[in-house]
Amino acid sequence: MKDLIRKYGGPFSGMVAHLIQRVTGLLLLFYLFLHVRTIYALREGPAAFDQAVGAFNGVLFKLLEIALLGAVILHALNGIRITILDLGLGQDRQRRLFWAWSIGVGALIFLAGAIPLFLASVLRR
Amino acid sequence: MTGSYEVRVTKSAGVRSFQVTLGERMTVLDALFRIQAQQDSSLAFRCACRVGMCGTCAMYINKVPRLACKTRPAQLDSAVISIAPLPHLPVIQDLVVSLGPFFDQWKRIKPALRGSGADTLAIIPPNPDTSRKRDCITCGICYAACGIKASHADYLGPAAINKAFLRLKDPRDSANKARLSVLNDEWSGVWRCHTQFNCTAACPKKIDLTDTIARIKRAMLTS
Repeated sequence: MKDLIRKYGGPFSGMVAHLIQRVTGLLLLFYLFLHVRTIYALREGPAAFDQAVGAFNGVLFKLLEIALLGAVILHALNGIRITILDLGLGQDRQRRLFWAWSIGVGALIFLAGAIPLFLASVLRR
Repeated sequence: MTGSYEVRVTKSAGVRSFQVTLGERMTVLDALFRIQAQQDSSLAFRCACRVGMCGTCAMYINKVPRLACKTRPAQLDSAVISIAPLPHLPVIQDLVVSLGPFFDQWKRIKPALRGSGADTLAIIPPNPDTSRKRDCITCGICYAACGIKASHADYLGPAAINKAFLRLKDPRDSANKARLSVLNDEWSGVWRCHTQFNCTAACPKKIDLTDTIARIKRAMLTS
């Protein structure tokens, strides 16, 4: 375990970035299907749509909404990182780019969005 | 400073543990020689130069592909040293793998200089874009470290792509069209690379292989 942490936290962190990009990509794809399915309820009238949206009012879905925010931020920032690298910029600083940009800046943006969301939709219900 | 290590070797018959005492400046390759001489004479491994020039002693050491002759137990920062054969390559015996699949991909990009007449004898001026990339010792470490190679056996691999890049940059060469068609292959060419940087991280010669692949991708898109 110690060897794996040392490996993927250090020189091989590009692999961690790749896995994060894949996993968050799949989660967003799943969310997209769920989103389209919910919107599709509009076809059956306003009442059906309200009922479909109402299913997402529970605490669990509010927490999942916060997790969705995290997935979007990670996927977007990591995508920007990969684009920068593919353009030939910062190849020798890819590890720093991952930890400082994708994770560091990502965590700040996530907290800025997740804390108000948590306070408004979970704690003050 | 002398240290005692538990060396876990993945042999063809299964994992075997050995206790070995090693000096501070001794390497994992020295540990294998000591095991072979004192504890298990049947242990099979390969080496040649012992100074990191030939790439023959590439192995999977503590979950990372490395050269055994350039890896000191002290730098692993662990009392346990696990040694296994390189991944993605068929094992011949114990720690000895066949580099056949690696060189099959290498041959696909036509590694030899293809020119005509006296032009091929011309001495080309040094190119800062390629000088570091010429250090490849074909050890197979990048090939073993590549995450894409694990799921796409047809993928050329970083070393072959790096060799193709050197040929593309060589003004004496005349086989670039054939080489580019191999590199541009949707399933096995440069487009398979997902910028994981594993090859660059593992390369014992510090060649920025991911940069090589990205350069070829950009050149293909802009030409």
